[in-house]
Amino acid sequence: MKEIIINNLSYKYSLAENKALNNISLEIEKGDFIGVIGPNKAGKSTFCKSLVGLIPHFYKGEFEGEILIDDLNTLNSSIAEISLKVGLVFQDPFNQISGAKLSVYDELAFGLENNGVEREEMITRIDKYLDLMDLNEVKDNNPFELSGGQMQRLAIASIMALKPDVFVLDEPTSQLDPQGTEEVFKAVSRLREENLTVILVSQKLNKLADYANKILFLNQGGIVAYDDTAAVFSRNDLEQMGMGVPIYTEIARELELKNEKDQYPIRNSELKEMLVAKYGKNIGK
Amino acid sequence: MRSLSLYVKRNSLIHKIDPFTKIIYVFVSVISPFIMPTLIFSASLTLINLMLLLLAKVVKRVIPIISFVFIIILTIFVIQGMFYGANQTKLFTIFNLSFYVEGILYAAKISIRAINVLLAFSLLILTTPPAEMIESLVRRGMPAKLGYIMHSVLQIIPMMSSNASIIMDAQRARGMETEGSLWVRIKAFIPLIGPLVMSSLVNTHERSIALEVRGFSAATKKTFLHQEEVPGGMKQLRIFLLLFLAAVLVWRLTL
Ligand SMILES: Nc1ncnc2c1ncn2[C@@H]1O[C@H](COP(=O)(O)OP(=O)(O)OP(=O)(O)O)[C@@H](O)[C@H]1O
Ligand SMILES: [Mg+2]
Repeated sequence: MKEIIINNLSYKYSLAENKALNNISLEIEKGDFIGVIGPNKAGKSTFCKSLVGLIPHFYKGEFEGEILIDDLNTLNSSIAEISLKVGLVFQDPFNQISGAKLSVYDELAFGLENNGVEREEMITRIDKYLDLMDLNEVKDNNPFELSGGQMQRLAIASIMALKPDVFVLDEPTSQLDPQGTEEVFKAVSRLREENLTVILVSQKLNKLADYANKILFLNQGGIVAYDDTAAVFSRNDLEQMGMGVPIYTEIARELELKNEKDQYPIRNSELKEMLVAKYGKNIGK
Repeated sequence: MRSLSLYVKRNSLIHKIDPFTKIIYVFVSVISPFIMPTLIFSASLTLINLMLLLLAKVVKRVIPIISFVFIIILTIFVIQGMFYGANQTKLFTIFNLSFYVEGILYAAKISIRAINVLLAFSLLILTTPPAEMIESLVRRGMPAKLGYIMHSVLQIIPMMSSNASIIMDAQRARGMETEGSLWVRIKAFIPLIGPLVMSSLVNTHERSIALEVRGFSAATKKTFLHQEEVPGGMKQLRIFLLLFLAAVLVWRLTL
């Protein structure tokens, strides 16, 4: 079933010379995990902002085309309405804290209060997502006192509490240390277990190879590739466009190991299997 | 994390009273001496405030505030004592300066009223967590956005000042002098402004996005996680306070 349909989406920021997004059309299925990659200024963040309606409702500019989420057209709905269907988490964990609440627990209530969720339901949801994001020990702390990883998990939990169908994450680990990054990816895997449709922008290609079933490769505001993860990472022109490939794919390439679908392996386990198949069980001994 | 707040946590009757009732009390206590400007009346209300502060176990916190305004009050006494327009009856003379009864009385009247305002507000602020006070007003129709601004001033400003000290540290680490004479400090402050303003602008922009995607502008009626705890009898107390104010008004008009 289709979750999101995008038709001929183009967008130019008010003071910009060039379009940040140029004639994007694609469809996203319910339950898809889409990894979004691309060089700097490719339009990845702009794409995310469009999905949650910040474009065109928060950023004015030239908007063309349409984004349909279920039966909702982002052009005719407010950001608040869209935010109940599509959640957004972005880079800076610090700036995602509302600043109006003194504890992690209360911070989780911020979006729910704004949306008029009844008190009992609020408490049920807060407890659930505190648990799911492993924030129980810090629930009475001031949100500004958390570590980067904890703050980002709080941001994720705050959005999850609104129960969106689609979850958009724009480089959620780019400002975190390795430990915070691990924590957040663990949190992201929980999103997948909740059967949400996830759109994740990240430079961590190994992680995308693990999680994503499809990769959207953007460059200069346009789609370079939108295909199954293995198919995209098997392309030979990625380096040319300034993108790397997951580490296991790179090794497989060096060894010219392709599977029966004529694709390189993208995960550790696949590469191992193929190595064993080719060189026998005692490889390395 | 520091949040700008003067709230003092104590176990007292006053602390248990809900913010809205206290706000009404402060309003009545501050307004009525202006309606009924007699010295005795103002002094009685001031005395009541003092007793309530005692009851709330926060009197000690008021002393620094009072001592600060004490200087101003002293000035009022000196100036009015000597130069009040209706001065007639000489009270005493020092160094050839004469002080008059009328002026001193007048000074006492305004000082008491000022102290009363101060004590009444102290009672509210020292015994009520700011977040609860703001929420209580939002519940009663104050725009949620205004409430947010009040919250964020209390929370985010201390955040920004700690940002400033982070940038300072970074500059000190690069060998810039940030301590010493005023001139040295000013020189150290100038390169701070750029990063501080830039980062604040970016932060504000990003935070407003984060608020929007959490329904900040939703048209729905807001709900609240915390229930307002209003002790029994507060409705009656509020009505009594307002009746008191009305009585003062009537008294003044018929006098
Ligand atoms: N608020 C804005 N006003 C004007 N132009 C903007 C604005 N935000 C982004 N742009 C421009 O739009 C283009 C796409 O930017 P975008 O942030 O979407 O790229 P990105 O793929 O997310 O890049 P990055 O990897 O740096 O995050 C860039 O050329 C950028 O300069
Ligand atoms: Mg970006």
